[in-house]
Amino acid sequence: MARYGMALDYKNCIDCKACESACKEENGVLLGADKHRIWVGTKEVEGEFPFLSISSSGFVPSQCQHCEAAPCQEVCPTNATYYDENGVVRVDADKCILCTYCMNACPYDARYVDDRTMTVDKCNFCSDTRLARGETTTACQNTCPTKVRTFGDLDDPYSEISELLRRRDHYSLKAHLGTKPKLFYLT
Amino acid sequence: MQIEMSRRKFLQGTVAMSIVGGSAVSATNLLAKDDKVEKKLTFTTKTGEAKELKLVPTLCEMCVNKCAAIARMEDGVVTKLDPNPMFPKSKNMLCPRGNAGIQALYDPDRLKYPLVRIGEKGDGKYKRVTWDEAYEAILNGTDRFKGLAAILEEEEDNRSTIGYCAGEGMAEHTYKVFMQDKLGSSNFVNHASICLQTTVSGYALTIGGYGQADLENANYVIMAGANRAEAIVTPDTMDLFKRTKGRGAKLIVVDPRFTNTASHADKWLPIEVGTDLAFVLALTYVAIEENIYNKKFVELNFNGFEEYKEHILTSKYTPEWAEKITGIRASDIRQVARDFMAAAPRAIYYQGRRTAWSKQDFQLRRAQAIFSAMGGGIDREGGIIFGKKLPLGKHNINTPMYDNAQERIDKKAAAIIGGSGSWIGWRNTILEEKAAYPVRSMFVYKQNPMLSIPNTAKTKQLFEKMDLVVVIDTMPSDTAMMADVILPECTYLEREDPVKSFGSAQPAIALRQKVIDPMYDTKPVIEIIRGLAEKVSRPLFEITKKFDSEVQDAIKERGEESVYKEDGFDLADAFRHSQEEINKHMVVEKYGEEAYKTLLKEGVYYPNMDKFWKQISNNEFQWYPKKERFYSVVEGEFKSDVFHDTCVDEKEIAVLKKEFKTPSGKVECVLPNLAKRGVSPMPSWDDTQFTQIPEGKFKFITGRHAQFTQNSSSNNVMLLELMPENYLWINKRVAESKGIKFGDNVEVKSKVGQITIKAYPTEKIGPNNLFFIHGFGADSDGLTFAKGNGAADNHIIEDIIEPVFGSAAMHETIVEVRKV
Repeated sequence: MARYGMALDYKNCIDCKACESACKEENGVLLGADKHRIWVGTKEVEGEFPFLSISSSGFVPSQCQHCEAAPCQEVCPTNATYYDENGVVRVDADKCILCTYCMNACPYDARYVDDRTMTVDKCNFCSDTRLARGETTTACQNTCPTKVRTFGDLDDPYSEISELLRRRDHYSLKAHLGTKPKLFYLT
Repeated sequence: MQIEMSRRKFLQGTVAMSIVGGSAVSATNLLAKDDKVEKKLTFTTKTGEAKELKLVPTLCEMCVNKCAAIARMEDGVVTKLDPNPMFPKSKNMLCPRGNAGIQALYDPDRLKYPLVRIGEKGDGKYKRVTWDEAYEAILNGTDRFKGLAAILEEEEDNRSTIGYCAGEGMAEHTYKVFMQDKLGSSNFVNHASICLQTTVSGYALTIGGYGQADLENANYVIMAGANRAEAIVTPDTMDLFKRTKGRGAKLIVVDPRFTNTASHADKWLPIEVGTDLAFVLALTYVAIEENIYNKKFVELNFNGFEEYKEHILTSKYTPEWAEKITGIRASDIRQVARDFMAAAPRAIYYQGRRTAWSKQDFQLRRAQAIFSAMGGGIDREGGIIFGKKLPLGKHNINTPMYDNAQERIDKKAAAIIGGSGSWIGWRNTILEEKAAYPVRSMFVYKQNPMLSIPNTAKTKQLFEKMDLVVVIDTMPSDTAMMADVILPECTYLEREDPVKSFGSAQPAIALRQKVIDPMYDTKPVIEIIRGLAEKVSRPLFEITKKFDSEVQDAIKERGEESVYKEDGFDLADAFRHSQEEINKHMVVEKYGEEAYKTLLKEGVYYPNMDKFWKQISNNEFQWYPKKERFYSVVEGEFKSDVFHDTCVDEKEIAVLKKEFKTPSGKVECVLPNLAKRGVSPMPSWDDTQFTQIPEGKFKFITGRHAQFTQNSSSNNVMLLELMPENYLWINKRVAESKGIKFGDNVEVKSKVGQITIKAYPTEKIGPNNLFFIHGFGADSDGLTFAKGNGAADNHIIEDIIEPVFGSAAMHETIVEVRKV
């Protein structure tokens, strides 16, 4: 069993959204601006032309953080949201009753309603596509032009992600909430 | 209403689509749509549950880069395109457009059958015909339009009466072989003059080649106007942005807009549009005045440097002079010049790509090349490199000679008109009836001039004027709507294209293989041409026999059959072999059977690939070990015939160089041959070539973004979801003063047209300029998803010509804006 996580060298990100289209094609995510498992956060640059603050701009890719203490899992009344054996936070479509408690509970806004299955969907690290086939990458990592993402087993001390996290400073989003995200932003 | 389509439903849909529409005689809309498709249709693919799986390496064609991809086929459906890690140029990446290639294949709006016009030009009324009927219509016309035979008869076999154009693509050459070498027309225009003609020519004439910016190893990069974060180019984009933000490469972005590239810069210098030349000349001035250039390199490798030095100093191209023109502070200019030279030779003034900006573009690119070279970063690691190219075998063509075919019509449109012409000059020469003879027919392949050439109204007139317009495309573009005959090409995933060698420090050969058989009644262009050639060959030879005295003499001497066959008048003879056979021959001839097998299996081949290629980690690969790469290729001089860009015809550059090459083989500061053509022999600022902005008006600029490729991907639902329409960038304070808020409809008006678009007030653009992204605003009824999204830039961009190579000057248009 693995404990999957992802490190993001987010300074590489150019907001091209290759990750987003790769994810949608791989996982059959519905089209529509409000339907996405992953996205790139952007911020309007600060200042007045021509004096703009370069450091105020930038791109932050985001998605389900695969928390070890996931609020969405805690509030799910039917156990549709669960941790699989690899620590991936998954959704069992058969159990989901679309109460949307998980959507409200998630501090990362990482969940959306899939209109076809009428369930609350989210990133699952390509668990039922690529990982199920025995591949060891996610679609977003594989395709990224500037190689923002490193996916791997946090329990394996020799894995690339473990090495990267030992070597490089990093932080997690909203760490103060105690959700223990498994997405790490490299500084 | 939102229609959802599961993969299964979608499959059924595609089967249905290939059956319905069989009533060939009835009038059908160009669309020939079989299921009613609402604009909100959404469908997605999903990998998984397949019984049968096939992985086929191929090359992407969603833009010009040709990234290596692996297509995943599940139960006969392409469900995913993944990057192919074997290819050094695309380094295991596929951008959003590459990922969305599946939607281009399964686009419900695709052209499905050959179509012949039955309505008025432009009204979209066509009837479905067989391929033979389409060829027949091209040869002999219908009651609606004239055919080739009548036109050539009337023009007494002047083949150049048939104009033709093409967008960039791997099979562009195949199409050109037919239109130029076999059919015999000299009137070709392609995308070069609306894209990178000035920079490619400027660099070729100055340092011997366009080369490649080694952004993997450069320590200092000036990127001016280029926007590699949004106009993705491989490998530049991937190499650069892993090293910016204090991680090895210092990036200076010079751009009137704050782009995604600027957001990665160490310094952003907003420049007055059209003044880049003044900026570079001032950088050069500082380097000379402060004596900080690479003197040894200049001494060994420059020609005419003393004269150039004198010219720069006496012209007083000081930073203070440039500050007044460019709006960039003199102190910043000094700093950039010093930092560049301190980092040189690992310092690059990025060459640029779509450089069709202003009237002074050619001199600008020359000045850039000389400034870069003054640092010594030419033909060496971290600078501009020429690399090596792996040779391929030859495929010979028997070319006929037509005595009556005349030279191209746009020779006077600019000082130097090469084989790919000046699109605007060419079109305007016809419209203004200044051509030496009438151009009466137009063949269009993989290009959409209606949206890609400045001043759409004139392009429309051009097509209206033609007796016969033939369009070969995959989509019912705005240009297809102007066609008399439409020949549907299959998409890139449905065909094998000519094998291609990619030169660089890490050269490789890559192959675009067919993933699935062509859907509907579509064909690859080589087959389209073969069929057309077979149809028109004999009848057109009859016309040649009638008017061509040379051919008449030859027939008297050797007999008709011998002249027809041996002299290349059999137009189909160049296309008898399949693309697969030609490719195999070209690879096996040089590298043997094993190499060809590797190429088929991996999609990529280069010598020692089995030894050199390694996966280092999930994200890192080795293609060539560092000591095996070709950073420097020519000892003692850096002239190189190796050309890396897939966008410009290598043969054309070779011709250019032959015409202009001095015996020195060095960096050419002075080009006396240019002076003979009325062009300044040294880069000089010309005030008269600069367009001032009148009070209350704006200079309009255009550009790209990462989710669209020009207008060819404008109907792609996956990409439209990422960006559904374009917005007008207007300075926030200017917008406020005009009462314009985000999302308001505004009208932008120039001398040649007007458009309506939604506003995006932002500080990312200055008060003198307006901007919106190219590629939107399609008007074709055939494009369900693209029609009416945002606005098309070329509806308002004036048809101003850059005077040296006849490129478009797309950033010279003055516009006004108002809320509507």
